[in-house]
Amino acid sequence: MTESPQIESRLRETASGLLREKKVSLFLGYEKATLPFRTAPLFLTAADEAERLVWNPFCSANLAVYLPRLFKAPADAREAKAAPPPPTVGVVLKGCDARSVVALLQERQVPREKLLLVGVACPGMVDRRKAERALGEHACLGAGEDARGNVRAVVDDGTEVTLRREQIVADACLECRAPTPALHDLLLGTPVAGKQADAARRRVAELESKPLDARWARFQGLAARCIRCNACRQACPMCAGCKTCLLDQTRPRWIGAGTDASDVALYHLLRAFHLAGRCTGCGACARACPMGLDVRLLSRKMSQEVEDLYGFRPGEAADATPVLSAFSLDDSQDFVTEP
Amino acid sequence: MSVRNPYLPYPTRIEAVAIENGARDIKTFRLAFEDPAHAAEFRHLPGQFAELSLPGVGEAPFGIASSPTEAGYILFSVKRTGLFTGELHSLEPGAPIGVRGPMGKPFPWERMEGRNLLIIGGGFAFTTLRAAVKYVLDPANRPRFGSVLVIYGARTPDELMYKDELAAWQARDDLQVHLTVDVADKPWAHHVGVVTKVLDGLKPSSENTLAIACGPPIMIRFTLLSLANLGFSDDAVILSLEMRMKCGIGKCGRCNIGSKYVCRDGPVFTRDELKALPAEY
Amino acid sequence: MTEKKIPQASLDKLLARLQERGTVYAPGRGASGDVALLEMPQGEPVLQDYGNFALSPKAFFLPQTQTLLRFRDGKAEEPSPPDRPVFLVGVRPCDAAALLALDKVFLDGDPRDPYYEHFRAKATIIALACTQPMASCFCTSVGGGPGDGAGADVLAVGLDTGLLLRAQTTRGEELLASLADLLAEPTAQDSQEADERIRAAEGQLAPARADDSARRLREAYDAPLWAAAGQKCLGCGTCSFLCPTCHCFDITDEVRNGAGRRVRTWDCCAYPLFTLHASGHNPRPTPKERWRQRLMHKFRYAVENHGRFFCVGCGRCIRNCPVSLDLRTALKEIS
Repeated sequence: MTESPQIESRLRETASGLLREKKVSLFLGYEKATLPFRTAPLFLTAADEAERLVWNPFCSANLAVYLPRLFKAPADAREAKAAPPPPTVGVVLKGCDARSVVALLQERQVPREKLLLVGVACPGMVDRRKAERALGEHACLGAGEDARGNVRAVVDDGTEVTLRREQIVADACLECRAPTPALHDLLLGTPVAGKQADAARRRVAELESKPLDARWARFQGLAARCIRCNACRQACPMCAGCKTCLLDQTRPRWIGAGTDASDVALYHLLRAFHLAGRCTGCGACARACPMGLDVRLLSRKMSQEVEDLYGFRPGEAADATPVLSAFSLDDSQDFVTEP
Repeated sequence: MSVRNPYLPYPTRIEAVAIENGARDIKTFRLAFEDPAHAAEFRHLPGQFAELSLPGVGEAPFGIASSPTEAGYILFSVKRTGLFTGELHSLEPGAPIGVRGPMGKPFPWERMEGRNLLIIGGGFAFTTLRAAVKYVLDPANRPRFGSVLVIYGARTPDELMYKDELAAWQARDDLQVHLTVDVADKPWAHHVGVVTKVLDGLKPSSENTLAIACGPPIMIRFTLLSLANLGFSDDAVILSLEMRMKCGIGKCGRCNIGSKYVCRDGPVFTRDELKALPAEY
Repeated sequence: MTEKKIPQASLDKLLARLQERGTVYAPGRGASGDVALLEMPQGEPVLQDYGNFALSPKAFFLPQTQTLLRFRDGKAEEPSPPDRPVFLVGVRPCDAAALLALDKVFLDGDPRDPYYEHFRAKATIIALACTQPMASCFCTSVGGGPGDGAGADVLAVGLDTGLLLRAQTTRGEELLASLADLLAEPTAQDSQEADERIRAAEGQLAPARADDSARRLREAYDAPLWAAAGQKCLGCGTCSFLCPTCHCFDITDEVRNGAGRRVRTWDCCAYPLFTLHASGHNPRPTPKERWRQRLMHKFRYAVENHGRFFCVGCGRCIRNCPVSLDLRTALKEIS
């Protein structure tokens, strides 16, 4: 049985209460979008607008991406004097989003005391491309959730089609180990257990079992279709805090801006390395990619490496030291070879 | 006959490099076209800019500091601030450099005909004003204009550019030059104070006068107030804007303010033209 | 203008004939399963059951990555672009109309852009009318239509028995004349069938409020909606990169092993760095100004400068925005 209607109403009550009592100055949630299978982020500041909040299988966006910008440190003393005080922000978080917040807290990018975390146990969110593909040539006029948590779509010939949730949830959801936010100030919904705890590992293993040229071809397939729009990076909560991305720098210019194979490959490789130990597998990158690429191809492997080498999973303990900022004497040193 | 590719720079050579300021981060480069046909094609008027091009490094836009009346070369004064300017500053006379241009709209010379000119410059922004003054002072041109009053200020005496020329201009009787510094940290015979202080003190008449102001945003802000107080109408005040640019020819979309492209519809704008645009600059 | 018909069975021959003359790009299913313009021969061309391609055909005229100059021994050389004619088959009317917008910037503006001009001169556009607009389409609200041939050389309209081909330009006329042996005269019923399909498609399009946009946007410059919507924008670049009329680009130099090149790449006004000055000053410092710029450019500045919208209602930005920003909402709210 889906809990969405109750969660939605609790979210509206919670948001309106928090805003009315001025416990938060901003509440981040989701509202209806103009196309099916999607929602839009909602920046609520007025208690009486809380009715706009929704909770449904299309609440895919990771709202944590907005937090670094809201708490951006002023550039200098003058900016600090002119800047308004940081807001207190209430934010709706699924399991993956909450992990992003934990990772941001680990890096001191956001202040815990200014956040009010409204966690929602998440049964997995719909990947709009999978849903659209499941409808084939039919255009969707509208979609909603049925009592069992499946998606009911009204298509162009007026008929209704039911799409089973598990067929159309995002890949990241299929690999999600913690759909229930561990860090929260408030938790809505019955806790959901992590599905298929080693799903991500199996995907990595499946690729690694292939010969080198097949793996290279998979990587090339991603690189050939990448248009260097940077959507993956801009959607990523962990990338959001950097004022100028390494990959945009001009002094020195590390990579070109175009679609030359080496530039595309380096963009993805360097981004994956910069997210090592920081990527929480939320899938915002893949969701944002306009070409529908499997942007998590490298980061899935990277996360596994970090876990295997250092026993670290990002986004779990808010007070943990980020793995690449910590050093312990018994860290693996296998990569050190005789010169 | 095919039209020249607007992205293809004219090859020129650096003939001379002059260090303009005490901090040694402003240099004036004197460039000569390798091909006289290109020199003939490059017809500019003061106020216009060009894109300097270094292969493998990139391009950047700079106001043309020389007047078309200065034959055989073009001048650019460049402050070292980033990747391109850093590379340029490392070049010696003899080094090749590309030039694309001239670009943009110049100062409104047709309107300036027969008028008195009030020229106000601050700091590094004096480059195209040098071109304007040289142009006006050329014997063929001088009779076309009325009185010329130049107010030029910098932070310290060392930061003033074109010091030799400023001295020569001060010795002339066909224009008035008032130099000012914020801080006189060496023996200094002229004004001390911001440019607007000198302007307010001199109280030049706005009658049949056009004012051209180029300088940092804060100087411009206060200069506009002073000029308004002196009775200058918005269409009698001429400004030159700076924007991040790339193509310089109105195609790459980067430098727009409202519906105007600074590279193509500017960089020279009158105050009333600017007032009609969104304040996004 | 000439109207001809080609029966279904002869379509392969037409494509084969075009391939003799130049490089042909026709809709086909790529590795991802999505339909895209693929270079022929690539198996069975797909001429139905697709809305539109993920990427617009602007890439053929303004490539994502394009070498402007090559440098060798300090000298700049212009590259030699491919000289072979190109045929783009199956382009939707919105994307064809978009080329007329790009022409305003690259051809009408002084100076002309020789790189764009070259590709434009080499390409013949055979558009395919739409019979099933998507919920995100709004071409009729911005001066276009599912059966509008503006920007194309030939407009093809699907019939039960084949395609009706309507020449739109002299080049289109010449193309049809050169394929005369494959073509037949259409009957009155054929024309009627085509027009009915187009009318049916037009009827499916929900309107967007682009009317009088220049004035409404001018008056709404300081409206609160820019911050309200803009704050959601991630600056991801998807909208500009997929948009058939967006043309902003960056120019950078690259050096490799002593030789270099000057290359232009797509850029996006929503990127935070787009207008950032070297001094650190940014005239469009937050997503609010950048979202406003997008709308202003497309529906006001373009109208003021070129007399047309820089939007053809293809809906790619709406379908692909990761935060579901919809410029139709902004157009409605500015009234």
